[in-house]
Amino acid sequence: MIEEHLVRAAQRGDTVAMNEVLDALTPYVGRICGPIALHDGADAAQEALIAIFRGLHSLQEPAALFGWARAIAVREAVRVARRGQRQLPAELTDLPAADDPQLAIDVQDVLRRLSPEHRAVLVLRDLEGMDEQAAAAVLDVPEGTAKSRLHRARASFRKAWSS
Amino acid sequence: MNWPQVELTDVERFRALAAAVPGAAVTERVLPQEPDRVQAMLADLDVFATIHADLVSATLEERDGDYVVVLAKGARGQRARLKGQFRPGWCWLQSRFLIIGMAVAAEPGGGTRVALTGGIRVPGRGAIIPIKVRQESSKALDRLQQLLRD
Repeated sequence: MIEEHLVRAAQRGDTVAMNEVLDALTPYVGRICGPIALHDGADAAQEALIAIFRGLHSLQEPAALFGWARAIAVREAVRVARRGQRQLPAELTDLPAADDPQLAIDVQDVLRRLSPEHRAVLVLRDLEGMDEQAAAAVLDVPEGTAKSRLHRARASFRKAWSS
Repeated sequence: MNWPQVELTDVERFRALAAAVPGAAVTERVLPQEPDRVQAMLADLDVFATIHADLVSATLEERDGDYVVVLAKGARGQRARLKGQFRPGWCWLQSRFLIIGMAVAAEPGGGTRVALTGGIRVPGRGAIIPIKVRQESSKALDRLQQLLRD
């Protein structure tokens, strides 16, 4: 977390405060971008941080910094991953729960087979702990779409295991 | 769940910070020396003053962890109290009238990438007057290369 007065100072053009905001946000942005953009994760995180800092002056409420940055990081990670277009879509099978112990595996291979949009909803739901309504708002899609993507994403984990 | 993580290099972070500062064009160069050696050299305030042509000296006034206050003196007698973060591989300092930034990262395949920016600050704003920013950074990198060769 970061103190609100530092965010306000950064918004006013104090570049040392901007540096402190950067220190606070970088690990968080990396945590969001990594599972969505995979091998393009560093590019995605860098581009997300650029977008965040260029838009920082427009943030109305400093207390909302991390939620605001999360939405930008997800958007940039999906965009960069789509640009890479190295993923293969997953297929539907059944649905493990978020706390299913079977999900506690090395997820790299399974994530690679999902689309960036599916990885994004999985990150928001299972890594960030958001409900489907909030995840849908971040992704700017209807709640039903977010739910469907989550279903597909979890299904691919189940499939990867049972194969 | 073993989620993939991303760790940005200091140069990648530096690009993001500089992108938010109008006028802060970043100049990068890959040097053949190892990162430890380049970092150690740039962590020396005498080297800091040497590579920046407008400075004749830089003296540490205060330090609190990575955060410092540095008194910089210019060739024409001007002084600047630079405040900010100064640690191996990273420097971001500002005064009322100056902004100076440097970052270092290991280059895949060998060598060290160094990124610089800096110049006259637009008073009271997070912006640099966009005059000769790249030229001055390029000259600073030339001087750093010379010091590393000596």
